[in-house]
Amino acid sequence: MDRRPVPPAITPPATARPFGPRFDIGDLVRVIDLRKPGHVRTPDYVIGHLGEVIQRCGLFLNPEDLSVGITHGPVVALYRVRFPMAELWGGPARHPRDTLCIELYDHWLEPVDKVTR
Amino acid sequence: MSGYHDIGGLPAGPIPRVELPFQHWEKQAEAIRNLLGDGSRRLVSLDEIRRGFESFGLDKYQAYSFYRRRLEAMIDTLQSKGLLTREEFERELAKVQRRWTGDPCLRP
Amino acid sequence: MRTHDHDHSQNQSPLHEHDALVAEDEAGNLLGQQMVDALQAILVRKGVLSPGEVGLEIQKLEAPGTHLGARIVARAWYDPAYRSRLLRDGKSAAAELDIKVGEAQLVVVENTPAEHNVVVCTLCSCYPRSILGQPPSWYISKAYRARTVREPAAVLAEFGLYLPDDTAICTHDSTADMRFLVLPMRPTGTEGWTCEQLSRLVTRDSMIGVAQPLSPDAHLAPKTAAEEHP
Repeated sequence: MDRRPVPPAITPPATARPFGPRFDIGDLVRVIDLRKPGHVRTPDYVIGHLGEVIQRCGLFLNPEDLSVGITHGPVVALYRVRFPMAELWGGPARHPRDTLCIELYDHWLEPVDKVTR
Repeated sequence: MSGYHDIGGLPAGPIPRVELPFQHWEKQAEAIRNLLGDGSRRLVSLDEIRRGFESFGLDKYQAYSFYRRRLEAMIDTLQSKGLLTREEFERELAKVQRRWTGDPCLRP
Repeated sequence: MRTHDHDHSQNQSPLHEHDALVAEDEAGNLLGQQMVDALQAILVRKGVLSPGEVGLEIQKLEAPGTHLGARIVARAWYDPAYRSRLLRDGKSAAAELDIKVGEAQLVVVENTPAEHNVVVCTLCSCYPRSILGQPPSWYISKAYRARTVREPAAVLAEFGLYLPDDTAICTHDSTADMRFLVLPMRPTGTEGWTCEQLSRLVTRDSMIGVAQPLSPDAHLAPKTAAEEHP
């Protein structure tokens, strides 16, 4: 099994700032490819695709950290993002309003300018 | 970065329309995991379990049933934290198996 | 040891080896039980767990089930104000019915004539276990997890669900801390039904999104106690 060194217990810094929320409901975002090894919760099929933020879910500990025993944070903002099916898979969707909604963490998203996209 | 578990959108066959029963050992394994992850212990989190079976390698991942994967990942995680060793586990397993067969020659 | 569960349908092509659901056979289940007993023995000996705790936790695992989700759905059908609260904050609304959602939040997604919802976890098996119990085996299968995000209509068709052409499908991939429950449309012909009667039409599969709830024709309206013994 891939073994990462587990860091010793660390007192959380008093000023640990949460990552995000940078986005509001209605914002257009693109999923960036962070090329992070190990445990991530961003599936391949959404990487590089353009979606719309439909919900701000709150702040959560990052599973990428939790999976290697880092429990002190910082927390990260979580969103639900909606993608048109045609955007994800190419070609016409069965129905123009068929969509895919998925939870994504703030640091996996970059803002997209509505005008220039 | 994708792993073998990251399968959204990959081609696949028909959905196997089966309803497997939830075995007692599976419930017991899940119960132990829940307790190990609870507020008073925080020894094994679901995230660590997931990372565990995502690191098995494809063959092991595909060979094991769903709950067996989680059990193996739990044992791996406990080992990586120094809570037990695989040798310790194998010894205990052998003890359990001897009790099960009731071999009188091997009773402790 | 494990076996691959085989699909017994007459006309389907054989499942790919890696598509089959890996199910334990008798030897595998025995080994599983022995392994868990061994693990528990070690953890008890090291003072990490007590056997009593494990037993209690098993009971807690067994307690939730479809009936809890059905109560929530029935109440939403019965009471429009409750439905609004449920759609806004599923966890709090469930708590109103003394149903405790253990996960961070329950997001309830409502089916309408314009849009049908279906839930999947492509990465593992995320499911609202604290209210519905364990997910069905097919939910964890490679085929369901791989195909539902790409061709949901074809997946629903395998479950016998055919949506009208003008109904869009929203597929939810449960990847993080939210858990999802589909609020199906209330079946027609249920005017005047009580919550308890309505709850009997709500199936597990309708709350995942691969089926519609039962119709009153398929399920005779059960009598209330008062009706049975006037």
